[in-house]
Amino acid sequence: MAAYPANSMQNEWKAREASDRSVERARTLRLRVTFPALLRLVLSIALSGCWIIIAGAAHAADAPTVFQSEIGPLLTQRCVACHRDGQEDEALFSLQRRSSVAAADVLTPGDPANSRLLEVLEPHGNARPEMPKDGRPLAASEVEKIRNWIAAGADWPEDVILQPPQATTPEQWWAIQPIRLIIPPTIVGERVESTLDTLWLAALNESGLSPSPEADRAILLRRVTLDLTGLPPTPEELERFVHDGRPDAYQRVVDRLLADPAYGERWGRHWLDVVRFGESRGFERNEIITNLWPYRDYVIRAFNRDLPFDQFALEQLAGDALWPDEPEKHFASAYLVAGPYDDVGNQDAKAAAQIRANTIDEIIRTTSEAFLGVTLGCARCHDHKFDPLTQADYYAWYATFAGVRHGQRDVAPAAEHAAREQQRAPWLARQAELQARRTEITAQADPAESQSELFAIDQELERLTAQLAQVPPLPQWWIGTREPASGPFHVFVGGDPQRSGEEVQPKSIAAFASTTAPYALSPDASEAARREALARWLFRSDQPLVARVLANRLWQYHFGRGLVETSSDFGSKGAPCSHPDLLDYLAGELIRNGWQLKPLHRAIVSSRAYRQASTWREDAAEVDAEARWLWRFPPRRMSAEELRDTMLIVAGQLNRQAGGPGFRLYEYQQDNVATYVPLTHHGRETYRRAVYHHNARSAPVDLINDFDAPDCTLPSPKRPSTTTPLQALTLLNHQFTLDISKAWSQSLEQFARDSGAIIDEAFRQAYGRKPSAAERDAALDLISAFGTDAMCRALLNSSEFAHVQ
Amino acid sequence: MFNEFRSIECRRQFLRQMMGSLSGIALADLAGRTALAAPRIMHHRPRAERVLQIFCPGGASHIDLWEHKPELEKRSGQPLPGEPEVSFQGKNGNLMRSPWEFLPRGESGKRINGKLEHLARHVDSMAFLHGMISRSNTHGPGCVFMNTGSVAEGFPGAGAWVSYALGSANDDLPTYVAIPDVRGEPPNGQANWTHGFLPAAYQGIPLAAQRPLRNLQTPAEVSMEEDAATRRWQQTLDREFAAAHPGETELTARLAAYELAGRMQVSAPQVMDLAEESASTHQAFGTEDANPYLAAYARNCLLAKRLIERGVRYVNLYCASRASGVDGLLNWDAHKTLKEDYERHIPIFDRPTAALLTALRESGLLEDTLVIWNTEFGRLPTHQAGTTGRDHNPDGFTCWLMGAGIRGGTVYGATDEFGRRAVEHPTTVWDLYATVLHLLGIDFQKLSWYHNGADRRLTDVHGHVLQPILA
Repeated sequence: MAAYPANSMQNEWKAREASDRSVERARTLRLRVTFPALLRLVLSIALSGCWIIIAGAAHAADAPTVFQSEIGPLLTQRCVACHRDGQEDEALFSLQRRSSVAAADVLTPGDPANSRLLEVLEPHGNARPEMPKDGRPLAASEVEKIRNWIAAGADWPEDVILQPPQATTPEQWWAIQPIRLIIPPTIVGERVESTLDTLWLAALNESGLSPSPEADRAILLRRVTLDLTGLPPTPEELERFVHDGRPDAYQRVVDRLLADPAYGERWGRHWLDVVRFGESRGFERNEIITNLWPYRDYVIRAFNRDLPFDQFALEQLAGDALWPDEPEKHFASAYLVAGPYDDVGNQDAKAAAQIRANTIDEIIRTTSEAFLGVTLGCARCHDHKFDPLTQADYYAWYATFAGVRHGQRDVAPAAEHAAREQQRAPWLARQAELQARRTEITAQADPAESQSELFAIDQELERLTAQLAQVPPLPQWWIGTREPASGPFHVFVGGDPQRSGEEVQPKSIAAFASTTAPYALSPDASEAARREALARWLFRSDQPLVARVLANRLWQYHFGRGLVETSSDFGSKGAPCSHPDLLDYLAGELIRNGWQLKPLHRAIVSSRAYRQASTWREDAAEVDAEARWLWRFPPRRMSAEELRDTMLIVAGQLNRQAGGPGFRLYEYQQDNVATYVPLTHHGRETYRRAVYHHNARSAPVDLINDFDAPDCTLPSPKRPSTTTPLQALTLLNHQFTLDISKAWSQSLEQFARDSGAIIDEAFRQAYGRKPSAAERDAALDLISAFGTDAMCRALLNSSEFAHVQ
Repeated sequence: MFNEFRSIECRRQFLRQMMGSLSGIALADLAGRTALAAPRIMHHRPRAERVLQIFCPGGASHIDLWEHKPELEKRSGQPLPGEPEVSFQGKNGNLMRSPWEFLPRGESGKRINGKLEHLARHVDSMAFLHGMISRSNTHGPGCVFMNTGSVAEGFPGAGAWVSYALGSANDDLPTYVAIPDVRGEPPNGQANWTHGFLPAAYQGIPLAAQRPLRNLQTPAEVSMEEDAATRRWQQTLDREFAAAHPGETELTARLAAYELAGRMQVSAPQVMDLAEESASTHQAFGTEDANPYLAAYARNCLLAKRLIERGVRYVNLYCASRASGVDGLLNWDAHKTLKEDYERHIPIFDRPTAALLTALRESGLLEDTLVIWNTEFGRLPTHQAGTTGRDHNPDGFTCWLMGAGIRGGTVYGATDEFGRRAVEHPTTVWDLYATVLHLLGIDFQKLSWYHNGADRRLTDVHGHVLQPILA
């Protein structure tokens, strides 16, 4: 009988993947061999794509030894990632230092034939070499080098310690340095009202650019109204503002908009993108989730109330545990389970463990990117390649979220539970009693004797069941359950749940230790304490990154581009910051404002930078076509939600009903799996703001997703803005456009009988301006031939309608 | 230094993104001359210009279709040597031979299931990858993995990557089309052809004989004259607006998008008008077959042919759908009754697919069209306890390639003597796509897009070009 291959496929997978990874690592990583010498003289020599940093004058003077130039780099590249200090698994003895190698007894200096280190690297017959377990086998020439090195005595200086390499050190990472207090420079010859504008202008001038004049009032009002509320200004608001001569007219507008509940609907939606809020489970079955909407409403409320962001974060990460008697805080913590997860169920234990690890991973990634702007998820299988984030950091968060399970439950406070139980208890007790008696009777030799008693019992039982049924079940909400985080938790070597590395505890990310006071919890810390500790650490006053990330998000949504373009990645793979002083100023303001957002919105939209015209200037564009330095306000296309909501409101059809279960623009079909079929006809019950659409995963709806609303499967820190023919087809031919055109034309015809007046009003509503004579004439022709509907359909499709200047 | 690099990368990406917003719409220049395709990313001379990917969802069994296992036939009924196994659905029984005879086909004499009578004609052109392995034993993630290179959803389909890299090769049709089966979408549906984090311009457009492009038709209540007049006026407004805002490329792109939409309204119904094909073609494909599933799939094969003829860059054709309540009824997921299930699926798949390949060969399109056949995983050589079906097997299965740049009649990789695990040249989906990109003239390690902390690739950090199967 053929022997079954000893190295199972699992291992084959690992081998393949790890091999690819190590090749990749070799391409991107630097090797550092550090010497604990007193003199920190650093000499770097590029050797076979690696760096050796030699500290110490004596060494630097000599030519590098074979070990330094060849063997050290090879071991570091291919072995030290696993064979390093502190591994629990004895087989993973450390190859970092001479002494640890000696202790492991794996090589005999001068005798390659008696060195296990060499033996495992060599192929035997057709079998692949035992090592590296993760990776392509060493090339024959590499094995030869090691053989020669051992034969020559395996020279390894005591003070040479191989380091699992890391690209950036915490000291080199700008984003985690303390937030600086910014003293604005003086700008000569410019009228500058705020620190924000001073910092913006200073950078602009440095690039040899000049700012644009203030935008036309009508354009400015449309811009700021859409920006803060997602809806256009009404013609009346426009009229009022254009003719408002008071010096604080604009400030009044801003205050009005920030107080409008539509603000939360607009800005809450931004946050929902960042935290991948979606109302279906995703993956194969993708069943709809109908009871997660309270989280969406919570977010909108939080923005409208200007709930300080540190509190907002704390409630989302640990609200259920900290305020168990407040249902709203439970809804907040639904954040944790608002992402996709695989609920297919897998009988294969290894596959099931992998799926569970993927679920926790999803929470770790979202949380680290949304709040902290770091891609901690990259440290799942190996230390982060570019940022000082280790696998130990990643699994410390794993231990933090390990008690979170997806699912639904009630949020009734303890008192309500108790009252309910109290009401049911006597009935339940009586029920139990009767059932026991019934069993007793039926067990008797001749139950017929007690026929009448049995009858009475059955009657009473029936009554009791009816009574119990009258106490309604507690409503269930998609908040997830929490179970004890019963460790111990370990690093998963190579990201594989079957391979445990060192034990981990919930603790802060090590790289932050020099700026942010660290924490570490004991292994018996409660599940709730784990999440709370993380949330509180994120919003410590000495935590620099969270405020920077948040301030940058605000800037991005106002201007279309962040000061750091990769708004969920402030690591070294992310984009550099274009305005470091401005970012620190804004982050500082955020903290000084007690983490409230509205003051910062006010400062930004009131700035000269924001109020500039968006007019294209050839000279400036030659230097800075993307307006990165903001020589103008960058114009944009409306988002999917803005476009749909604007169509509805212009036609007088928008139903402002806020909150509650969402409406659906698809038909939901479910058998074994779920299918979402986009609707051809959108009924009037769907005429609510798009933020209340029940957004399911992998269920694109033409009118929303064609215009770049993201599939909510992954966090979406910044939406693309594309232009496609499908958008045109949708907007031209979908029944929605026709229905809206009709409704709009009816309301216009009610407003005025005269076609000229109808056209003027339509332009005012759609564009915020009067039509030109030529435009009016052409519109008149269209109306006389085909009616007002045709004009409305054209306006709804036009560029100017969807364009925010 | 690094930042500088980053900003160059950003700029490059930005430019592509801009072009992307144009590429999907084949930007017409100001003089209204012929449309330009977006500049393509090209690292070397391409062998293939476009891709036809035929996907059989449900986990089509390698040992019952493509890879002959004499040892399995001999030892049928004996236990599988090695560990007793619990797999996706639970306990498994003993080894179970394939219910069908494997016959030698073509000059190569390669043995495949004898029921694949029509595909037998093409065996000499196929390069079989018998050592495929997957990372998931679940349909949804498995399908998404085979289409996007990632088990998790949200990553772009291979066709989206190819659209991003190569742009459009036609003036009036989408670049990337997915053709779902009449029985429904594959497991995880649209996640299989999503643009993921790439711009929406690169999304796969679902289109099938039974499912015309959404919003293509001008609504019945709008007359042709009204539609024309309305759009003419809208175009005037948009032209003037663009002229008043020079430098806004988005506005010119939008004008072009509306023009292309207009052309699509003419060309898409044409491409879907199968009546243009001859009676003998219909006969060969089987569009009038008495079996409605066969006829429906045949119509989609015919549609695929017409899309390829018109320069669609990537066609993702499905034969079967996601699971229904009954295993193996609507797709290749034969958990309980392998023989009955596959005798239902094989005829549906065999003749139309073979006719499509023949048509491409006869028109010469196979010269620069790469054909991929795949599925998300294979099946175990054992039967499931108490049934005559097989459970999922991600540890060894088959895919095949043919057409542009492929050396026909090759076999690369193998599973063990029972078909349980890949033992020779284990091959990943990343290897498959590294090879596909290579044939399209793209270095798979250089095609990337920055997203959430990483320069993402279709092949992740993996992949090797499968040189032995290249012509």
